[in-house]
Amino acid sequence: MSEKVLVTGINVISSLGLSMNENWENLINGKSGIKKISLFDASKLDTQIAGQVPESFEEYSKCYIKKRIRKQMTRVSQMCLTATKAAIEEHNIPISEYDPERCAVILGIVNSANSSVEKDTDIKNTILKGMSNALSAWISLEYGFEGPNYTIATACASSAYAIAQGYDLIQQNKADLVIVGGADSTINPEEIEGFNALYALSTRNDEPEKASRPFSADRDGFVIGEGAGILILERESFAKKRNAIIFAELAGYALTSEAFNIMSPKTDGQGMAKTMEKAIKDTNTNKADVDYINAHGTSTMLNDLYESLAIESVFGENASKVAVSSSKSMLGHTIGAAGAIEAAITVKSIRESQIHPTINLNNADPQLKLDYVANTKREKPIRCALSNSFAFGGHNSTLVFKNYPNNS
Amino acid sequence: MAELTDKMRKEVRAIIIEFFAEECEVEQSEINDSTHIFDDLDGDSLMFLELIEIFKKKYSLNIELKAIGKYSVKHPVRTVGELLTMQLMIIEHENNITNL
Repeated sequence: MSEKVLVTGINVISSLGLSMNENWENLINGKSGIKKISLFDASKLDTQIAGQVPESFEEYSKCYIKKRIRKQMTRVSQMCLTATKAAIEEHNIPISEYDPERCAVILGIVNSANSSVEKDTDIKNTILKGMSNALSAWISLEYGFEGPNYTIATACASSAYAIAQGYDLIQQNKADLVIVGGADSTINPEEIEGFNALYALSTRNDEPEKASRPFSADRDGFVIGEGAGILILERESFAKKRNAIIFAELAGYALTSEAFNIMSPKTDGQGMAKTMEKAIKDTNTNKADVDYINAHGTSTMLNDLYESLAIESVFGENASKVAVSSSKSMLGHTIGAAGAIEAAITVKSIRESQIHPTINLNNADPQLKLDYVANTKREKPIRCALSNSFAFGGHNSTLVFKNYPNNS
Repeated sequence: MAELTDKMRKEVRAIIIEFFAEECEVEQSEINDSTHIFDDLDGDSLMFLELIEIFKKKYSLNIELKAIGKYSVKHPVRTVGELLTMQLMIIEHENNITNL
């Protein structure tokens, strides 16, 4: 029988902070990270707001990344490596005790964010900064990992896919420790204009903190965020042998394709429902044990409607008993990083027996009938939680995390 | 092609040490000829190219990258001292370093 895959480290860098704990404190207290864009002059754009990582990140990252290497990295690559190093340091992961050939890095990366707002890109570093695979490569280089390191691009589900691949490597006995996660930023004029052209973004520029309002009747699109999310996955026997702090078990996942439309999900969320059903079935999970769903919850008309209908379809008359919340209500949509950031938050929720709220939910959409943990956090022991990611291109994923007994 | 003087040798050494100290965030006093560029300084091969660019401009050198490539296959550079030797050779022999 295969060993369990455990989460022994988590970290997030986002608009709400530079560490997991800082993010968690802000999330649980319902604080929004959305502000006017300051990375560049956005005054001519339809959307002028985003969830930017604090400016203090630059100084913070200098504690973890040498100047020489920083010059060869984009800001997003720096977020990724910094989040990883801080996680390994904070959680005392004894890297030197692992066989380097059985350590891997898999990241969900749409691109390296070498955009027009990136500073100090020149002819000498343009290739290295532009390589999307550089993000996993830098981690492999830093720790001397000789197992596989690669990146996966499935748009907004990228880093959830990376987590799934990391699970497989351990389950198939091809690795003992896998660093998974992702990083992204689309806070640049080109991509904001592109999303605006698709009518995907909120234009509630006068009320940045209230712009991302998943499941609300007056939602008008998502708000872009940026950041990095990292999880350290470890074989159960290794984690137990070293008496590691175990945050949760990654029990499995489902990845499916909508095969329907490049942008829109299948009508009534059929593809989303199928993904959750498959994840629950493949992990032998009792539906009644699912206490929490960290929703994809983008704040777009279609996603929030269809995801809600999908949850109703999967859980039937018990759907309203499952707590559902959207981290994007506070962080915005971090695109390639979203799957990992939200997975880390889901794991933290299990660990803390607390669920962060969906903020800005004062105007209920009569079509949406679930328990969205509106505006106020909730104390609740969580036996099992799902983390959903649904991407342009029809890339669906549901990750299943379970409370691990004696995880103190 | 230039005739090397003691002043030039000192100048080249000073530039190399200053470059590594700045890029690798170490004190100049920590760098000597036996300092390993990769193991001790966490340096990388791109630094060689950047230094060559600096010296190309400074001494108006006629040197092609492929000539440096051929030379460095025969004379691998790992330490600051070896890099200094290579830079001096380039200044002295330019593209003719391939014959060395």
